[in-house]
Amino acid sequence: MSYITILLGMLGLLSAFVFFYFLKFKASTKQTERGNRIKWSKFIPYRDEASNEDSKKSQDATFKDD
Amino acid sequence: MSKHQALNTLGRSGNPIIRSAAFQGKVSANEERMSLEGAVNKTGILLFLTVMAATVSWNFQGPLMTLISSLGTLVALVSGIMTFGFYFFFVGWLVEPRPYNAPRTAPIYAIGMGFFIGLISQQAESMYPGIVIQAVSLTFFVAASLLLAYKTGVIKPTQNFLLMVFAATMGIFMTYIANLIYFSISGNNFFVLTDNGIGGILISLFIIGIAALNLVLDFDIIEQADEQGAPKYMEWFGAMALMATLIWLYIEILRLLMKLRSR
Repeated sequence: MSYITILLGMLGLLSAFVFFYFLKFKASTKQTERGNRIKWSKFIPYRDEASNEDSKKSQDATFKDD
Repeated sequence: MSKHQALNTLGRSGNPIIRSAAFQGKVSANEERMSLEGAVNKTGILLFLTVMAATVSWNFQGPLMTLISSLGTLVALVSGIMTFGFYFFFVGWLVEPRPYNAPRTAPIYAIGMGFFIGLISQQAESMYPGIVIQAVSLTFFVAASLLLAYKTGVIKPTQNFLLMVFAATMGIFMTYIANLIYFSISGNNFFVLTDNGIGGILISLFIIGIAALNLVLDFDIIEQADEQGAPKYMEWFGAMALMATLIWLYIEILRLLMKLRSR
């Protein structure tokens, strides 16, 4: 096995650790608190199933926050 | 308590866009919500499944394994479409995205792609020893670098960023489809995709760049879904999106290294 492979292998291990370690942390406010973020809910309808289930189960009245 | 910590504690963002009515009041109080930790764990599980399937495929090469790998790729493709949907230019969504399928489709996708990756990796390794370790390492290096750039706010995905990455990704996808059709007719690939000259290497670098930018979008999906208290299945969806991009990135890096080594 060449030195470049061993070196890259060690770099890969370190990178994998960094990747899985930092993935758990929230992004900085510089990233999260800006007005031009992508509105993913427009493209990914991840509320559909949940909201359907809610409407079936819940008999409670709903009130607007504001 | 800092403003950010306070937001974390409350589990919702202060960003007025994110606090729009679309994200409020649709999740019941007792419904389990996703977390970043959960998404990381699911990514780990999917990576484990991919590596396991790849190990089997690597060690038991033969006509049967080639058939299993082909079927695995097909099943993975169907799983991907069932989860991410299928969008076509000027037509719109041919299949709507169904993220709630992710807990069922993500493991199938990971295993299916694992068989495929094992097969191509073994073939690449037999031609150029040590290439797989290099490709895996560079994939994680690129992913970790972009994760840090995203988390610290150096790269900020915006609507224009999304448009650019999406258009480029679709362009690459269409080129691959055209290449597949050309290959089935003539038995040859597009010269520019397989060329180990400077043009072919630049094309590979461009594709790797676009695959890497797709990772930034995946990080943003996971981050935003967590901020908005998305349902638990979004952990699987985020992990699956991340795995799909990592696998694509790995294949492209492997292809680039093969071009470089064949010079």
